[in-house]
Amino acid sequence: MPTTDDVFAAVANRHRRRLLDLLLAEPQSVNALAAHFDMRRPSVSEHLKVLRDAGLVSEERHGRERVYRVDAERLRPVADWLTPYEAYWRDALRDLRAHLDRNPEP
Amino acid sequence: MTAGVRTIEVDEFLPHPARRVWRALVDPGELARWFVATDFRPEVGHHFTLDTGPWGATRCVVTAVEVERLLRYTWRNGPLDTVVTWRLVPEGTGTRVLLEHHGFDLDDPAQRRAFNGMGGGWRSAVLARLADHLAESGGPRT
Repeated sequence: MPTTDDVFAAVANRHRRRLLDLLLAEPQSVNALAAHFDMRRPSVSEHLKVLRDAGLVSEERHGRERVYRVDAERLRPVADWLTPYEAYWRDALRDLRAHLDRNPEP
Repeated sequence: MTAGVRTIEVDEFLPHPARRVWRALVDPGELARWFVATDFRPEVGHHFTLDTGPWGATRCVVTAVEVERLLRYTWRNGPLDTVVTWRLVPEGTGTRVLLEHHGFDLDDPAQRRAFNGMGGGWRSAVLARLADHLAESGGPRT
């Protein structure tokens, strides 16, 4: 059973946080995930393994592909751990994105 | 840098060119629309203040401006003497925004309280947002 320390260690990496963001948007295969990164597919798989070992993502076979998805319950200690400033800046970036989406370049 | 100094890093991909994102970060008219009304100017040495909601007024000084690439200002509020850096990195047809808030000294109890949050309100707000996010994205498989 993974510990809370495992969960924190798993998210203490920018690539793995990005993977979680992508998987929160939708479950997807390692190939689809790898398209978002400069690193090679085996590296992406290694990061996924860390997330899986921490219980944050699960995998499921769909034909020849494995599809990964987030296990939301396990993310709870991480959400609890977000600092107020981190939450503040996440909100700011979300607002920036919404502003730009509404007001793209003329 | 000491062992107790922490940095907050947040990044987001925006499907807009760096030129457009930069304008949103430095134009006071734009800042008022998505962030907060401010007397900001993108000039090194310029002093400005930000109304930072639960933390009151934050005093800032611009320390670095590299057009469409990097913006840095100091962030002084209560016990905090910190630095905020925005970096824009073109990625495909969009821009990755990397935000770094550096200099929380966790060896200082007052700063540690500011870093961790004073009460439970923030945490429940974050959890609520996470729940919303998960609901939008289909929720957990059970």
